[in-house]
Amino acid sequence: MDSTLVRNNANQATTGSGARIGSYWLSGRRGRRVREALLAYVFLFPAFLIISIFGLFPLLFAAYESTLRGLNRIVGPYDGLGNYVRAIDNLTYVLAFWVAAACLFLAVRSVMTGSQTAREKGETFWSWSWPGVFIGLGIGVAVAYIFRLLPLMLDIPSQLRGAQNTGVRFRQLMFEAWLDGGVQQAFWGSLVLLVVGIALYLIIERAAGHTHHANYMGPFIAATVLLLVAASLGWLTWTEIQKAYAEALEAGEGLEIWSQIVTISAGFFLLLIAWWLWDGADEQLSDYAMVARLGAAAVLLVGGWVLIGELPRIIAQGDKEWWVGLQATVWYSVGTVPTQLAISLLLAALLFQDLRGKGFFRIVYFIPYVAPFVGTAAIFRILFSNRPNAPINSFIGAFGGSSLQWLNEPTGLFQLLLGNSVTLPTWAAGPSLALVVIMIYGVWTYIGFNTVVFMAGLGSIPRTVYEAAAIDGAGRWAQFRHVTLPLLSPTIYFLTLYSVIGTFKAFNHIFVLRTAAALGSTDTASVVIFQAFKRDTRFGYASALAILLLLIILILTYVNNRIASKRVFYG
Amino acid sequence: MSRKFTWLPLVILAALLLAACPAATPAAPAADTSSDSTAADTPVAEEAAASDATSDDASSGDAMASEGACVPATEGDLAGVDPNGQNIVWWHQHSGSREEQLLVLVDEFNASNECGITVEAQNQGGYNDIRDKVNASTAAGEQPAALIVGYQNDQAFYQLNDTLVDFDTFINDPTWGLSEEDKADFFPSFFDQGVHPEFGSQRLGFPPNRSMEVLYYNKTWLSELGFDGPPTTPDEFKEMACAAAEANGDGTGGYILRDDASAVAAWTFAYGGNVLTADGSGYNYSDAATAESLTFLKGMLDDGCAYFFTEGFPNPEFANRRAVFAQGSSSGIPFYESDVQTAAEENSREPDEWGVTSIPHTTADPVQNIYGADVMITSTTPEQELAAWLFVKWFTSPEVQAKWVEISGYFPTRASTEDYLGDYVSANPQWGEALALLPYSAYEPQLISYQAVRDEATKAFNEIMQGADVQTTLDNLTTFANDTQAELMEEVQ
Amino acid sequence: MASMTTTPTKPTSFSLSVGRGLAYLVLIVGAVVALTPFLYTVSVSLMNLTEATGGEFLPSTPHWENYARAWNDARFSLFFMNSVKLVIITLVGELAFCILAAYAFARMEFPGKTFLFSLLLATLMLPEAVTWVPNFITVSWLGRISPIPWINNWPALTIPFMAHAFGIFLLRQFFQQIPNELWDSAQIDGAGHLRYLMRIIVPLSKAPIMTLALFGFIGSWNALAWPILVTTTPEWRPISYGLLAFLDESGSQFHLQMAGSVITILPILVVYFFTQRTFLEGIASSGLKG
Repeated sequence: MDSTLVRNNANQATTGSGARIGSYWLSGRRGRRVREALLAYVFLFPAFLIISIFGLFPLLFAAYESTLRGLNRIVGPYDGLGNYVRAIDNLTYVLAFWVAAACLFLAVRSVMTGSQTAREKGETFWSWSWPGVFIGLGIGVAVAYIFRLLPLMLDIPSQLRGAQNTGVRFRQLMFEAWLDGGVQQAFWGSLVLLVVGIALYLIIERAAGHTHHANYMGPFIAATVLLLVAASLGWLTWTEIQKAYAEALEAGEGLEIWSQIVTISAGFFLLLIAWWLWDGADEQLSDYAMVARLGAAAVLLVGGWVLIGELPRIIAQGDKEWWVGLQATVWYSVGTVPTQLAISLLLAALLFQDLRGKGFFRIVYFIPYVAPFVGTAAIFRILFSNRPNAPINSFIGAFGGSSLQWLNEPTGLFQLLLGNSVTLPTWAAGPSLALVVIMIYGVWTYIGFNTVVFMAGLGSIPRTVYEAAAIDGAGRWAQFRHVTLPLLSPTIYFLTLYSVIGTFKAFNHIFVLRTAAALGSTDTASVVIFQAFKRDTRFGYASALAILLLLIILILTYVNNRIASKRVFYG
Repeated sequence: MSRKFTWLPLVILAALLLAACPAATPAAPAADTSSDSTAADTPVAEEAAASDATSDDASSGDAMASEGACVPATEGDLAGVDPNGQNIVWWHQHSGSREEQLLVLVDEFNASNECGITVEAQNQGGYNDIRDKVNASTAAGEQPAALIVGYQNDQAFYQLNDTLVDFDTFINDPTWGLSEEDKADFFPSFFDQGVHPEFGSQRLGFPPNRSMEVLYYNKTWLSELGFDGPPTTPDEFKEMACAAAEANGDGTGGYILRDDASAVAAWTFAYGGNVLTADGSGYNYSDAATAESLTFLKGMLDDGCAYFFTEGFPNPEFANRRAVFAQGSSSGIPFYESDVQTAAEENSREPDEWGVTSIPHTTADPVQNIYGADVMITSTTPEQELAAWLFVKWFTSPEVQAKWVEISGYFPTRASTEDYLGDYVSANPQWGEALALLPYSAYEPQLISYQAVRDEATKAFNEIMQGADVQTTLDNLTTFANDTQAELMEEVQ
Repeated sequence: MASMTTTPTKPTSFSLSVGRGLAYLVLIVGAVVALTPFLYTVSVSLMNLTEATGGEFLPSTPHWENYARAWNDARFSLFFMNSVKLVIITLVGELAFCILAAYAFARMEFPGKTFLFSLLLATLMLPEAVTWVPNFITVSWLGRISPIPWINNWPALTIPFMAHAFGIFLLRQFFQQIPNELWDSAQIDGAGHLRYLMRIIVPLSKAPIMTLALFGFIGSWNALAWPILVTTTPEWRPISYGLLAFLDESGSQFHLQMAGSVITILPILVVYFFTQRTFLEGIASSGLKG
């Protein structure tokens, strides 16, 4: 998808650099802009070529695969949203509905923002909708082209068995796949749309003359693509719901999909408003208005919670392992990210001081990250063994404590702390002790990584800033608070984002450290996905779970960005 | 100046493109990567074939059904298929010294076979790695090795994509197949383990070796404690374990619990039950045999006569007298032996005498859980397939099996192998003890869901040991197992 | 922090020494926690079987022969060379491509910038397990249409790692912090983007670039699942495969396992020890003037 866009833009520029209009395009202010954009694409090309092939293709593959069924089958029978329903039951429809709604919202907002800017600058806006819509449709059809070609291509291996498995046959089948009617239709359709779009763009650009003005095609392209996504997702959800109803009718059961969608959506909507009220509360001028807002927020919050009370019942109908896995993932993330970031920041700050032997410490803190996890995990298994004479247990024993089961303990941490007197519900019992050991391992390992990145960040802060602060009489703490932290905020932002994503995807050490005795309490979402993909070869189901995890990470990233955009400061 | 720098990256890019993905080389010689590894070796193979034409070898003896030169058959399904000069790749999981000596054995085949077949044995990590690799290769249209190793439930997965070849084609071939005596010589239960009713009763796997779930016991220590032999019943077993645990007094000493699904099956068998339903189509963990045996083990744990050791294989614990009993696969015998010797040397004492016996049973005769991976032939060219079969046939011939037994410590799958074992049995008494148990065999399920069910059975074992209600846990396990089987089979349709 | 500049402000010697003491306390506690597992690793690697499995803390006599055994049994020399080759190839591509792309995102204007950057971030979010099969398919097919095979060869093991969102993202964060005035003055001198990047940005960003190189090195050195998937012979298999095979083979012989682990860790430590100096210089020289 991105490569289409890159090529697309490159096209647009190379078309422009034809002999006659060449001087017009490549000279002057506009010429510089065009040249800079061209050069930027050249800079991006090698990286994006590799990332498209090995990073984006798997994404498309997972999205496609998640709609299929079958064991050990790449191209299995089509199953619509079936895999998602198996995982999260009717929540699928709620989710799909909301994603479609969000796309719709973003599309409208994109156009609104664009038109507002244009109005402020007094520039033409709506005429840009022509090339924008055409190019957007072109991109949409290009995506359709990929999704039409993909199954045909992926089916080639099944025709390559045994004696027929030759290079010639492979190329022949590839070509045949590309010549397929539907594929051709989409390919040429997309090409025509894109060419028309670019032609319209050139016409409008020419008509606008030499005066400097902004190009408002972007908002229209984005809006068109988003609308297409919203429409196809809405259509898919709608047909799937119809299908589910038909099936339920046949089986003589009732279905509550719509009522669930309405109540849960209303619940989330109330929560959203509550958050918005809460977020804007401190901007209110009068105390009264602020209190009123906070009060309203609280009321809506409660109302929202009541409405989404339906959720647990739906959850219970989905894949239990998946929900338990998600819960473990959240515990793992919450338990490790703040801890490791705080400790690393402290260590990095200390290592930046003029201290004797900091070279030694720098090496020491880095060793855990450097060491192969296969080896260090083996050591952790021995250290945190359940045997009474194992290192950690002997250490506890030396202080009169009793041995713990550590990696073999499925009981929640808070439950263990409380003892047997009270029985906490599972969600409140906290991460199992086994998971806590894995968290300790995670923190221990990644502190080195974070410290090094923090140190690189500290190194990029100009020392003159400190000198200035010192002259102003700022003490150490004040310097840290008002100089180091703000200037380090891009690094903090980067590390937070990367750690959150990392913990949600964490797999290797968790898989190596899991024991059967922990009764699955350490199986995070990525472990569940791994088992579905590798052990059970349910490629479709595993892909659906992966897409769900991706959605969760996406939302977290968005929230993180929202928070960060107010706080990150690029010097 | 700046223009020069604008073009520089383009030049770099062009160079990179040429290096990384030049799609514009239509008739590249090595374009067919699937046969790459074999293509590279072709000269070697031809050389081998040429030198083989003159060499005759007594040791290959009855491995070849047809005496003399290797001529394509004129009748049957394999008529006209010429295995001469084929290069076969074998993906296996054997590592370390076992791998080294396996390579020697394979070299022997390469030098001696009349068809000039060259086998290249390649370690691919563990069973799971081989599985991932075969699945990924199938998905990409890449040719997996002609010969692969894997469990029976893997065979079912592979066959969903028609990846494997039916062994019956070769076994029953008049020219290249096995004689009736040969077939009868295989232990029938091993022989038929690779037959899959759900795939038209095709024989997708062939047994090169087997292992057995056994109880390791420390003879010397038992006699010091006043017992004159290994236990046969659970009660005797518990008495001995408790005595040893009491002697150590620190929680160790007794029996090391094994939470593997194979152990759950082994104990169920020993208590006269089965984990499969009578018709073999579903799981049944809810019967009395499973419940009683697990209740018994839980009792041992509660009384301090058994403990968990989860950091690795239990052999070092056993060797250092922290356990008088340990349970595991008979393929571990060489490792127990070496650890017992090492521990004795390190502590400058006489090595303990130890032995191998059946799982303590309530049945009259022992019932032993037998398992082991098969070899499989993937579907490629008929020549490759036939050549792969000829290697399998050679590898499972009695005298080669005898050599393999000595290398690996696995059990043979043919009865007449014992004739060639010579003094191996007397030199390895424990192995002999285990071999004597071969007639009392039972098998674990081969259903497609067994990989997932194994994990759940292991979990259920742990839940019970942690105090969960036995019957409820087992009922849940049965439900889970059958649901999973149904769910997976539903995806197959 | 303040002590970076030795500007004599007015911290009393008392508070200085208390601060110092506290700093050392934290650092030492941290070092103990970070190191203990390794000291224990080294200790176990020198034990014999009885001690290693008996929960001892120290070997009675060090058994150095464990290292020789591990080295020979695991064929580390072969895997070691493979890893070195793979690391070098990966790093060259990784640095070149990530620096160029990060610069474009940090310093250049072009249509679709936000969109491309969010695509980049999206690639970070897919769990690895589901990427192996599609990537295997890709690599296999690229091998079919290119003159050199990809599977069982260096391209499959290196090219997929030559550009990644992490590297681009990391460098972009640092490139963005470099003051704009430098670009303005470079332009006055007639420098284009590439020249500015090579002459100004790269030297100023030694620290983050070294960081990326170091992480690339570690990632490449410790890569496991993917290399096993795309190789069938030991010819190109990396050292982590050697370690894993050795761990499997040595069963529960902890002392040998730990000796093997130490052998694979050491090269990285040596590399880090030496690059650390350059790295520190890089950090020191990034202190910009003006």
